[in-house]
Amino acid sequence: MLNDITIGQFFPGKSVIHRMDSRFKIVLVTVFVVILFVAQNFWGLGIACAFITMVYAASGISFRMILKSLKPVLPIIIFTAVLNLIFVKDEGDPLVAFWVISIYWKGIQTSIFMMLRIVFLIIGMSLLTYTTSPIVLTDALESLFSPLKKIHFPVHELAMMMTIALRFIPTLIEETNKIMMAQKARGASLDTGGIIKRAKAMTPILIPLFVNSFKRANELATAMECRCYKGGEGRTKLRVLKATKLDFFATALTLCVLGMVIVNNIVF
Amino acid sequence: MENIIEVKKLEFEYKTYDDDGNVTGANKVLKGIDLEVPKGQFLAVLGHNGCGKSTLAKHFNGILTATSGQVLVNGIDASDEERIFDIRQNVGMVFQNPDNQLVATVVEEDVAFALENLGVQTEEIRRRVDDALRAVNMYDYREHSPHQLSGGQKQRVAIAGVLAMRPDCIVLDEPTAMLDPRGRSEVMHTIKMLNEQGVTIILITHYMDEAVQAHRVIVMDDGVIVMDGTPKEVFAQVDELKAHSLDVPQVTELMYGLRKHGIDVPVNTLTEEECAEELLKLPHVKLRETAKKADRADNDSTPYIAEVRNLTYKYSVGTPFEATAVDNVNVSIKKGQFVGVIGHTGSGKSTLIQHLNGLLKPTSGEVIIAGKNIWEKGADIRAVRFLAGLVFQYAEYQLFEETVYKDIAFGPKNMGLSEEETDKAVREAAKTMGLPDELLERSPFDLSGGQKRRVALAGVIAMKPEVLILDEPAAGLDPKGRDTVLDEISEYHKNSGTTILLVSHSMEDIVKYAEKILVMNHGRLFCYEDTDTVFSRTKELQQIGLGIPQISRLSHILADNDMDIGKDIYTVERAKERILEIINA
Repeated sequence: MLNDITIGQFFPGKSVIHRMDSRFKIVLVTVFVVILFVAQNFWGLGIACAFITMVYAASGISFRMILKSLKPVLPIIIFTAVLNLIFVKDEGDPLVAFWVISIYWKGIQTSIFMMLRIVFLIIGMSLLTYTTSPIVLTDALESLFSPLKKIHFPVHELAMMMTIALRFIPTLIEETNKIMMAQKARGASLDTGGIIKRAKAMTPILIPLFVNSFKRANELATAMECRCYKGGEGRTKLRVLKATKLDFFATALTLCVLGMVIVNNIVF
Repeated sequence: MENIIEVKKLEFEYKTYDDDGNVTGANKVLKGIDLEVPKGQFLAVLGHNGCGKSTLAKHFNGILTATSGQVLVNGIDASDEERIFDIRQNVGMVFQNPDNQLVATVVEEDVAFALENLGVQTEEIRRRVDDALRAVNMYDYREHSPHQLSGGQKQRVAIAGVLAMRPDCIVLDEPTAMLDPRGRSEVMHTIKMLNEQGVTIILITHYMDEAVQAHRVIVMDDGVIVMDGTPKEVFAQVDELKAHSLDVPQVTELMYGLRKHGIDVPVNTLTEEECAEELLKLPHVKLRETAKKADRADNDSTPYIAEVRNLTYKYSVGTPFEATAVDNVNVSIKKGQFVGVIGHTGSGKSTLIQHLNGLLKPTSGEVIIAGKNIWEKGADIRAVRFLAGLVFQYAEYQLFEETVYKDIAFGPKNMGLSEEETDKAVREAAKTMGLPDELLERSPFDLSGGQKRRVALAGVIAMKPEVLILDEPAAGLDPKGRDTVLDEISEYHKNSGTTILLVSHSMEDIVKYAEKILVMNHGRLFCYEDTDTVFSRTKELQQIGLGIPQISRLSHILADNDMDIGKDIYTVERAKERILEIINA
């Protein structure tokens, strides 16, 4: 059952979006989020929609994947929609009114507007994880946050921890499976009984997992020392993030969209 | 010749501290080591677990610093803090567990790790990473993630990661201990090739067949070097090696045995070819036809204890990753037998044994334990787990209780045994696995590797299963630990009459104990026969990629040269008897 978990949702590819500098991708996704919140009407959202559709088309990520990214947040979307539907009041008579609930035309509008905003938000952020491997993402974050080193914020250390975590997640999942099998073979029942009984039944799995992880951490630390690890100071990189014309073009395009949305706000 | 490493009167002790940080004791691990390693040498270091060989290795690149004495690397003191990165760059280290030394999520980035640390320029990193990956033949996997690789491949990546620093010397601490035979030969091939290119190799190992490939062998025991010489010189001293709890190659043992019977043969033969050459010089007669033994196993009325019928198991059914792990297997195992299970990684042997105690449910087919179909409606699957006890590979990783006693009692308690019954079962199982009473109240995490393994085995034996299935119970142990564990299991088999299934990559281990051998290949049953019959088909076994004991390979060479000692040769003892028979007559 644990095998089904995939870490990150990266789909390797060679599209223009894949080839972009991941630092630009992070910043531009942030700009896209700003666009979504700047947009005050459906026209604005329409522009954002056209933009993100175009970018997805360029990335080669399938429509099915877009739907898949929305599935986990569906409850939040519905919740927001319902809240807006019920609580947005307007002057004049409600369209529908029963018991304490009254629904106005404006409520329906707001509800749809908020729903679309969240949908585009998720779709936009998913594009980042779909087209950028977790490791490159970590590199980009390390690079973007590197100014914080000046105030002694451990940027490199956090990035290193992130990398090691990504490296060991599959290993630990495999190990958990093995330990579960071994304890089952000794008659442990892991999936029966109430919550407390089940929590107790996890002890024989968690303890070996922790003990082994400490051992792994120890050995890994020695192995890293043997390969001359001495922290972030003076470190170079095999893969250097490099901005290209493509990135500047993308930035210009995104800023254009932002401009259009602002103009649209003023005009309508 | 110039020395790359010089060790002078090296002593090292681990200090133990109490909670306030005061020294409470010291454990001297190295007691005065003198060693010189010339450039370009391939040095093998042997010694049982705890003899100090890993501790010594960690002095070569300044991971540990000497309590007294000195270690010089290319003339630089290894404890010199200022030059520490020069030293680590010159002496690379590869460790036992392939998983615990890879840092990055992509192969090429892992190989680049050391170079990134050293601040090498990007273009140069790229060049060196590519070179290193090509040298270990892993270039095509450069964009893979480590967890997609086999053990042997991971270990080669680890070697590449060290190689990228362009070191003069690579120290490998039991690099093959956790690998299957294929992975082992991949790694050994890589090591030898690097040595031929001029890299000094220091290989710590428990495998004698690896040590014989070295230029020089040193043996350590109790913190000192006790033997030092070429493999031929060292291995000829069979008695002394055994006194240090070490193995000798089978042919060496054979020659040694023959000498004891007054036959004048040299003892210092290490390979089957050398040995055959010497033996063929002896005058000999033809082997008498031995009467074929009656087929006893299948005629008796012993009931079957474990059967699988038309067993098929598929992984990830209904996805693009669907794969058949076990394909229509039929096997019936009689009560009380000691069965060896062999097959290389991915042959389906692990999947097969996990069906026998109901951990996996067959895609189709039946599993019958003690006469009952375990997946029948209403059958209690947990009861089956007590009937067929399964001990996984590296079983010590499942220990979790505060004391050894409680850990062994986990299974019996799950069975619902009373306090007294549990107590009896725990003590009996501990005794079977040679665990003394005073150990029972200790924490399992304080024990040595071999002891932990035995606690884990006792934990399953305490459930008194009808069938005991052991997946590589001796993996990763030193020769003495291996023999102890396997002897204890064999003794338990004799005393209790429990049916045993021993899964192993090592044909030598299996033939020593098993009456019957089950061979799996590509998810299918290759054969299930008594040991003699299986060995009449050794050529086929080799074709499907299984290693056969050195002594069997020797008998083939002899047979090809008109000195037939029979096809059923798989132990040194039998080979010796046959040879004595034909040369004395």
